Amino acid sequence: MGADAGEEKLARVRLNFFACHKSDWLLRLIELYGGAAELLKRPPAELAAEGGVMLDTALRLAAQTAEANPEKEMLAANRAGIAVLTALDEGYPELLKKIYDPPLVLYVRGQLKPLPAAGIVGTRKATPYGLRTAGRLARELAEAGVAVASGLARGIDTAAHQAAVEAGGVTWAALGAGLNCIYPEENKKLAAKITDSGGALISEFPLDKGPLPANFPRRNRVISGLSLATVVVEGGFESGALITARFALDQGREVLAVPGQVDCPVGRGPNFLIKNGAYPAECGNDIISCFPPEALFGLKLAAPKQAAGPSDAALKELSPDALLAYKAIAGDERGLSADEVTLRLEWQVQRAAAALFELETSSLVLSRGGRYCRAI
Amino acid sequence: MLSKLRTLCLKGIDGREVSAEVYIAPGLPAYTVVGLPDAAVKEAKDRVVAAVRNSGYEFPSKRITVNLAPAEIKKAGTHFDLPIALGVLGASGKLGKKPPARLADTFFIGELALDGAIRPVAGVLPMLLALKGSGKTAIVPFGNSAEAAVSGVTCLAASTLKEAAAWLTGELELNPCLPAPDQKPVSACAPDFSEVKGQAFAKRALEIAAAGFHNVIMVGPPGAGKSMLARRFGALLPPMTFDESLETTKLYSVSGLGLTGRLVRERPFREPHHTISDAALIGGGSSPRPGEVSLAHNGVLFLDEFPEFSRPAIEALREPLEAWRVTVSRVKESVAYPARFLMVAAMNPCPCGYLGHPTRECACTPLQVHKYRAKVSGPILDRIDLHVQLSAVKFADWEALPKGEPSAVIAGRVLKAIEIQRKRFSGETRANAFMAGAELRRHCALPEGASAVLETAMNKLGFSARSLDKILKISRTIADLEGAAAIKREHVIEAVQYRMLDKAAELTAGI
Repeated sequence: MGADAGEEKLARVRLNFFACHKSDWLLRLIELYGGAAELLKRPPAELAAEGGVMLDTALRLAAQTAEANPEKEMLAANRAGIAVLTALDEGYPELLKKIYDPPLVLYVRGQLKPLPAAGIVGTRKATPYGLRTAGRLARELAEAGVAVASGLARGIDTAAHQAAVEAGGVTWAALGAGLNCIYPEENKKLAAKITDSGGALISEFPLDKGPLPANFPRRNRVISGLSLATVVVEGGFESGALITARFALDQGREVLAVPGQVDCPVGRGPNFLIKNGAYPAECGNDIISCFPPEALFGLKLAAPKQAAGPSDAALKELSPDALLAYKAIAGDERGLSADEVTLRLEWQVQRAAAALFELETSSLVLSRGGRYCRAI
Repeated sequence: MLSKLRTLCLKGIDGREVSAEVYIAPGLPAYTVVGLPDAAVKEAKDRVVAAVRNSGYEFPSKRITVNLAPAEIKKAGTHFDLPIALGVLGASGKLGKKPPARLADTFFIGELALDGAIRPVAGVLPMLLALKGSGKTAIVPFGNSAEAAVSGVTCLAASTLKEAAAWLTGELELNPCLPAPDQKPVSACAPDFSEVKGQAFAKRALEIAAAGFHNVIMVGPPGAGKSMLARRFGALLPPMTFDESLETTKLYSVSGLGLTGRLVRERPFREPHHTISDAALIGGGSSPRPGEVSLAHNGVLFLDEFPEFSRPAIEALREPLEAWRVTVSRVKESVAYPARFLMVAAMNPCPCGYLGHPTRECACTPLQVHKYRAKVSGPILDRIDLHVQLSAVKFADWEALPKGEPSAVIAGRVLKAIEIQRKRFSGETRANAFMAGAELRRHCALPEGASAVLETAMNKLGFSARSLDKILKISRTIADLEGAAAIKREHVIEAVQYRMLDKAAELTAGI
């Protein structure tokens, strides 16, 4: 990399400190002036006159970029083992370059392997059905060798990352904050697991930027931009998941949706997408079959699987009591509380406690807010 | 002329002997009280003047000095009226030329009305207990006679200043104090556990809590029956021993709640509202008074809507939950009140209450839920052994459910477990919940296969090391309920179910 390229990269990192909702006009200006370094040299009045920018925006840009310290930022990233990529660098994902406003700078912790990727997005307030389906799709994609992209939020995102990591696959998390501010707090462990298992944490925001609400829609375009196809698992009409789906469509990528429960508010988003022509996604193969043929090269394709629940072998390992309890729990879509288990089976508390402990630690059942639901 | 009488005062919940000296000197009429009196004692002057005159005596127009000794104890309360008034009568020669013989071994307690009647006062029982075994006599207000009789000290009841004065000179004999007739609690309509349908886990948790004196927190949506269960919880506890009754009655007496005159025989159940101040909860005031935690001594403190309590109030609970007493320090004095209570807390899963509800949607943001839960995390949660989740009862279930076990049956099992513990522990420990360090290791040996259970709990459910001690204590109580000498694997498994707030997944449940 020559001195000019180095200067240009620093200029782009500096320019990236300017917070705005859309960056496509910045890219146009960079093109116009032949580089971010040139752009930053122009006085705001000239930017306003030639670049078609409002004067106050140009003034803000000048002020915010002047405050920034890109050298310090690069040094900090370097120390933390974070790669800083611009569109000029080789590691910058090809697919992301093609969207109409790719991030000026990508901060990447971990590896961005050149894999075909699919995005799995959904609500934070997921139902057991959503969590379990997101997990299953992510697992099947990971096993096939597809990278699972999502946003590290609570609910569906977490389930997708978790399942991909557990299946030994690659998963990418695009964050709505700088890489020094993992949000939400409780997903820090998961974030570490993602990088340890060959995946990556990706953010376009400067390292110390907090999780501002405005960041998240921008983050969503990165998830869909990294992916060949985006699957919406659960979400309401106004959800971030639908924003991601719209980005995917704008970027010319496939949109799939997991059919939602019709009596559930979070089932409305995906069902709306299906009514408007999105493919329904039942299993990982449904997603992979939407990929362009050249992306299928090297993937380990398995026969299409139906949602079958846990394997017989897993059930055979259970004690007779635990199996009875599992059948009762699996038979109720909303799951059962511990008390309901004792009522259904007419058991004493002690007996139910032992069966529930066995199920919970076998990962066949998950407990959320006191209700036990089928996990697979 | 000088006159000297004996009386008592309170320091915390213990009585102290005090002497009231009255000196009348010639000079301009004046009246001074010395010896660290508080406002109520200074006010005694006006009541004493009126009471003396209205009892048919002349109040001396001379220089009167009242000294309450020892001077370093702060004197609070209105019960110094009677000794002061009698002192004035004595010093002005109304009780004879020489001090009456009965004066030497008698203690006087009582507040005066303006017409010379003696009014009942708070704290009679703890004050009198300081005289126990000394063979001394006490004159107490007639209204306090039942309470005074409980103390076991020879007490005589006086209803007017004139009666007390006449007794001193030997013109009149006073009636000894008699205990109030014992009243059996009306148990026929007392709330009973059998009225609570479903909630098997919560009932079991409360049974374990009662058996091992474990603190318990119930988490569940509105209407699940948290308060209903808590109000029935007292019935599971064993009857109070005489010493426990006496301690609790002393606290009630100091707070002025003991005027019914009976020993507190039923375990107290205190249910302070969540707007309570920290001082009212643990005790305080410029002249300290016991707070709710001390009024719940040897009984149950029920804190409904626990996270809604102010943070200072929640934090203030740490001392009594750790040390089983509260020390209230003020500029002039520092007193300690016992507070060995069983805490039953209740909370919703989130501020709106419907997080994880099968049919209703929760309206809270993750941040709100986090803040709500964070209020009960950390040091306070560390002092609560049992966590139990309640879920909403469906109507169909509610209708079909049979009646639960009656309180008396559960209380029977609890009593057996408590007897096992009485044999096990000597000294302060008394119950499984108070085991620490060496005792825990001695009495809670892990059975074979149980360490694997704990390991799975830590790895799969995200339990921390600090929950393991709690699990051991709970397992011990479960084993005691069964009458088992050693803890078994299934006891440990059941105990794990009562640590639900320790589960890592619980933090993000339903968000």
